[in-house]
Amino acid sequence: MTSLIEPTQLNNSLGDDGILFVRNDSILDTMVKVPLLVASIIIAAALLPVQSSFSSPRDIDLTIYPDGSTHVLSEIDVDPFLTDYELNLFGNTIDNLVVIGDNEFLLDVDIIDDTALIQTFGSSVITIEYDIHDLVSKQGRLWTFSLDSPSDFTLLLPKNSAIVGMTNLPINMEIINDQNQLTLSSGPTEIDYLFSTNSISNLTEEIKNEEDNYLYIIIGGIITGIIVILLVSVIIIVRNKQKNVKKIDQVVTIQKNVILDLETIFKLKSDLREDDKELVKFIFNNNGEALESELRKKFLQPRTTMWRAVKRLEREGVVEIQKKDLQNLVKLRKNMEEET
Amino acid sequence: MKKLAIFTILVLICGTTSPSLVTNAYGQNDPSILLRIAVQADKQIINQLDQVYGTQIPNNIQILYDNGQKAVESLDESLSNDDVEKAKQDFLLAMNSFMQISRTISHSSQQVSQMTISEKSNNQLSNEIDRLVKYSKTLEKLSKKYDVNVESDFIKINQLVGKLQSQINDSNTNSDNVINQIKNILKSIKSDIHEAAVNQRSDRIKQLLNQLLDEIDENLKTAEMNGVDKTQIDMGHELVLEVKDLLSKNQIDDAKAAYYELKELMKNIGYPVIFR
Repeated sequence: MTSLIEPTQLNNSLGDDGILFVRNDSILDTMVKVPLLVASIIIAAALLPVQSSFSSPRDIDLTIYPDGSTHVLSEIDVDPFLTDYELNLFGNTIDNLVVIGDNEFLLDVDIIDDTALIQTFGSSVITIEYDIHDLVSKQGRLWTFSLDSPSDFTLLLPKNSAIVGMTNLPINMEIINDQNQLTLSSGPTEIDYLFSTNSISNLTEEIKNEEDNYLYIIIGGIITGIIVILLVSVIIIVRNKQKNVKKIDQVVTIQKNVILDLETIFKLKSDLREDDKELVKFIFNNNGEALESELRKKFLQPRTTMWRAVKRLEREGVVEIQKKDLQNLVKLRKNMEEET
Repeated sequence: MKKLAIFTILVLICGTTSPSLVTNAYGQNDPSILLRIAVQADKQIINQLDQVYGTQIPNNIQILYDNGQKAVESLDESLSNDDVEKAKQDFLLAMNSFMQISRTISHSSQQVSQMTISEKSNNQLSNEIDRLVKYSKTLEKLSKKYDVNVESDFIKINQLVGKLQSQINDSNTNSDNVINQIKNILKSIKSDIHEAAVNQRSDRIKQLLNQLLDEIDENLKTAEMNGVDKTQIDMGHELVLEVKDLLSKNQIDDAKAAYYELKELMKNIGYPVIFR
């Protein structure tokens, strides 16, 4: 690739001090764009593990009550063109069963023994929840949870319970409202636990302290990162000012960083769904960004529906999704016009 | 160039240190959690042994405990040496030993009792209330979506829940009657919601099926042009008409059954119904 050197402005090609100002896109690319690009790629690479460590499959969530009964909450992807879906429940003693499809449609269910036949036609995701009394047995003071799970699952143990035996390795463990939550793999699992106030509170405190320490480290790391980025940005800006050749690119950059107005967005993306347009309007009026949870609250949509809507907008190039405090921050894209 | 080099180095340092910070911060995925669980289990077992046997621990249980404790120590050492695989083995060995001890102690003290709904202590009553309240909230949300007027029923449920809670405080466990009342109201609410949902769902299914039938019709024409067996094509057209007819008669379940047959046929002739 040959670099073409030509005067930027013929009338002012020579400055007062006799220096020839030249326009050279390749030099500008090298001096300004490339470092920014490198920085972006490296920052993205640094952030990638954050996102992957935050994400965990939660298809089946179990909550054990202190009396041993268990609440099951499961989300399942189904073929919307199949008329029915047969689901094996975790036992026979089922209470309070509710199955909800897309758009929070209440679905019909027939239960035969431990099988639920759900009329899912038209739904791509179903949420099923019920209480079951078959998963926990008690022997003396010892409680035993047993399950042969078809996929990975989370298990929230009762308050003040202490694990005294288990057959599987936990994938993860968290403390939620002073309760242990384990993430476990698919397959047969048995966990024995007792109720004891001392041990669980010690464990909780221990983990909480570690979490606090880790939090401080993360915050420190993020602050350091921001300072470094700011410092580098300042260096680049100062250097560019010194070179006096920034004007053209600055204009381009400013143009790219401006969020388009609603009319232009809808003009560029004329095939957006009406409900998606409402989302875009809300985000636009909210200074161009909103948490996914805010969108759910505003539009009273279930988690999966809103997630799909946001992903749809992301695919369309209208928004970008960033992680903020473990939540999805949905932002209108600033360079939409350029991509379109 | 110097500045550019410094910049790159700084970013590289930042980039390489950030992931390690994150891994530590969310290290609950890391094996050290195994040690915490095992140590807590160990403490619980010591308490149990102390309470049940005092200083007279039976030999078989003592052997099991020694095995468990050794495994915990080994787990600690394996983690220090970053030997994750060994740590996993140690964890399972320790937890298995402790599990056997707990079960032996419990078995000797009491017979197995499977949890049933009828077993209701005050604690269980409190759990039953929690479950019913959770279920009630789910139904309340659905009733609003379908605009079913059952607000008075939910007020009644709240009153009954309050009554149950006061029974817990009064140590009065005769609560079956109130629980049954709540369950009956919830059953009635669900039935009302179901009724309201049926119409909306039927409309939605009709809309979806009609849309699919148009597409299937087009696909059958294409298939015919591409030389697919005429008998199959005719059968497909017949099924399309049948589904449309059943939909017009509001026989949704029959329409779904006929559609299912049509869907299989389309799959067999190489023109499956695809989600768009």
